[in-house]
Amino acid sequence: MAFFISSDCTGCTACKSICPTGAISGEKKQQHAVSDAACIDCGACGHVCPAGAVTNPFGRTVPKIPKKQWVRPFFNLDLCMACGICVEACPANALDIALQKVKDLHPYPFLVQEAHCMGCGFCARACPVDAVTLKERNA
Amino acid sequence: MNIPRRSKGFMGSIMVVDLSAQTIETQPVSRKVYRTFLSGMGLAAHVLYHRIPEDADPLGPDNMLGFVSGLLTGTGSLFTGRWMVTGKSPLTGGWGEANCGGHFSPAIKRCGVDGIFFSGISPKPVYLYVDDTAAELRDAAGIWGMDTVETETFLAAQHPGARVACIGPAGERLSLMAGVSTDQGRMAARSGLGAVMGAKRLKAVVLAGKKRIPVHNKEVMKHISRICNKWVQFQPPFLPGFLTAPVGALLRIMPWAFTQDGLLYKILLKKWGTVSMNQISVEMGDAPVQNWKGSNRDWGFFKSLSTNPDVFTSKETRKYHCYSCPLGCGGICRTKGRHPRTHKPEYETVLSFGGFVLNRDVDTIFDINETLNRAGMDTISAGHVVAFAMECFEKKIITLQDTAGMALEWGNPEALSWLVDQIINRQGIGHILADGVARAAVRLGKGAQRFAFHAGGQELAMHDGRNDPGFALHYSVEPAPGRHTNGAWLYYEMYQLWKKITGAPRMPLLYAKARKYETGSDKAAMGSANSRFLNVLNGAGVCQFGAFLGIHRIRIFDWLNAATGWHMTPDDYMAAGTRIQTLKQAFNIKHGIAPRDCALKGRPAGDPPMTHGANKDRSIDIDILMADYWEAFGWDKKTGRPTDRQIAEVTDVS
Repeated sequence: MAFFISSDCTGCTACKSICPTGAISGEKKQQHAVSDAACIDCGACGHVCPAGAVTNPFGRTVPKIPKKQWVRPFFNLDLCMACGICVEACPANALDIALQKVKDLHPYPFLVQEAHCMGCGFCARACPVDAVTLKERNA
Repeated sequence: MNIPRRSKGFMGSIMVVDLSAQTIETQPVSRKVYRTFLSGMGLAAHVLYHRIPEDADPLGPDNMLGFVSGLLTGTGSLFTGRWMVTGKSPLTGGWGEANCGGHFSPAIKRCGVDGIFFSGISPKPVYLYVDDTAAELRDAAGIWGMDTVETETFLAAQHPGARVACIGPAGERLSLMAGVSTDQGRMAARSGLGAVMGAKRLKAVVLAGKKRIPVHNKEVMKHISRICNKWVQFQPPFLPGFLTAPVGALLRIMPWAFTQDGLLYKILLKKWGTVSMNQISVEMGDAPVQNWKGSNRDWGFFKSLSTNPDVFTSKETRKYHCYSCPLGCGGICRTKGRHPRTHKPEYETVLSFGGFVLNRDVDTIFDINETLNRAGMDTISAGHVVAFAMECFEKKIITLQDTAGMALEWGNPEALSWLVDQIINRQGIGHILADGVARAAVRLGKGAQRFAFHAGGQELAMHDGRNDPGFALHYSVEPAPGRHTNGAWLYYEMYQLWKKITGAPRMPLLYAKARKYETGSDKAAMGSANSRFLNVLNGAGVCQFGAFLGIHRIRIFDWLNAATGWHMTPDDYMAAGTRIQTLKQAFNIKHGIAPRDCALKGRPAGDPPMTHGANKDRSIDIDILMADYWEAFGWDKKTGRPTDRQIAEVTDVS
């Protein structure tokens, strides 16, 4: 199962630029294609496609979302157990761990590269204790 | 065997790299193999049994080196960040395995495979780079010679977000005590597999894949993880570090023993890490002292006080968690001397370069810890070799002439640091010692073998079988001998397997201590249960410290079913553990290992018995323990050989 780029593609390369796994190929102003083997179904390509050319594995068109409406992860450190599952789940390497609580030497996750975050929500889905919630960037 | 078509949890293939031909191939693995041997160590045993010829030189092109992840890794389960390095061990000549935490295990699966196997020898130093679109061997000439921290720092800068496993100078120089490092100081150290990697001229494995790991039922996974996490976060205030020693003394003096609940050990681990046991172990007789000839009398409370757990936490700048671990027993410490920081030394390292060589200087222990981590060398084996050299110096087998004037006296921190450097660099006496105690004793001659303690060539760990004969049994009887993680009566108590497994003997809450030292069918059942369960843990990639919480608190079997979609009972999983054990034993038989030859000999087996200390007058009926253990598996009682039918059952799987 993978995302698909239809013939509506204008070859703007927006999807290719954001794809965290390099699964999209295609030259500028030419039809782009998604590699089934490399696609991880994060949906970032659809969120940036101005032509509405990206469909999800169920055949539905993925709508473009303005960047300011993209969600980003927020971490509830009271629930967080510092296991790092969310950090490893992030396909964009946008998360890292660091000391954050006074007198607590355990390193907790935080969004270290906000510009890299695509709002895919993999971190929130992976967290076993639901310590990660997704909210809009400016929320 | 009815296997659901949509089984999940595993990636369904392995990567095979031929370093001689410089080719990389991804090969599918059948669902039947996963169902029969799980993944991780079981998968590796299945692959390596068939692909390594019986006459393969461990450091030659025919040996294969495997990096495998676990079946539960990346599925939302906890304590499942273990990865394993496997191959034919150059130390023992038989099955070799090393187990490590860190963040490398999910990286393997995120590259779309459950294991990466290397054969052949590269004509020049290379490293393997894998991401979602490419897998290629790249030139490593520029990093050959770098230590493990430098290598990882360099490669992480080249490949942001990638996870790295690499060897240091010890592996490059083919020291048979070399391991494979990740996270700048976590080490898959045992079995000498770093030397195999060095012989293949493979400097590092760099993984940057981002594939998602399929899970059958994520909600059930999360539910079980939350239950487990509640137990982990239960952390009542505990006593100060210096009071741990009297606890150990109390355990020594009492004529009866409590069946130990791993929840107590978890509390210690969460507060201090493995160093929590530094003084307890010495006092209760669990830690060997002075190359197995000393006791708590030689390394008493005030001598071991410099290694009390609070000393280590006082230097800790932050805790360190392996992947998916809610506990965080590791730490990063500031140090004095040559290196500004190091991973918090583990119990094994502290005792190897503390009580085992009578060294009270804790700064030297920190320094040696980081030096060995950077060199990529096993601290347990290195500590054994150093203690062996010190005893040889005491007995005048090694003289000042051999050491360029350095007096290798017990507890001399300057001599310790000097000797470690010599071993890493293979200079002078270090060249003789760099391949472990068994080979060093042969090279030195003059009766040095009396002071070289090992099981089948593998140096023993810092747990004394004279205190817990389960350690002695598992040191001797396992396909990869000499390792403390294999099993012990203590581990059996903490796993609490009788709550889920048919036929596992139930331990009473309180029992006469003398019972620990008896042999009998219950001990064979306990030993075989330990081995089978450990194979399940290593197949699933589960950390033993999580398993110590008890099988009713960390519900591994339920996790496995929820991750895969299988409907197997705990007994079914233990049967898989039996198959893995049989396959590893068959590997050793195929490679000409006589299992009985790995039996402990000399001091660690209580021959002669100690005349003082916690383990006074104790000797171990190791032959009886081993024979009973083999009988429990249905193997030949005298030779430890599985029957032809048993071997055929585990080797005819495809």
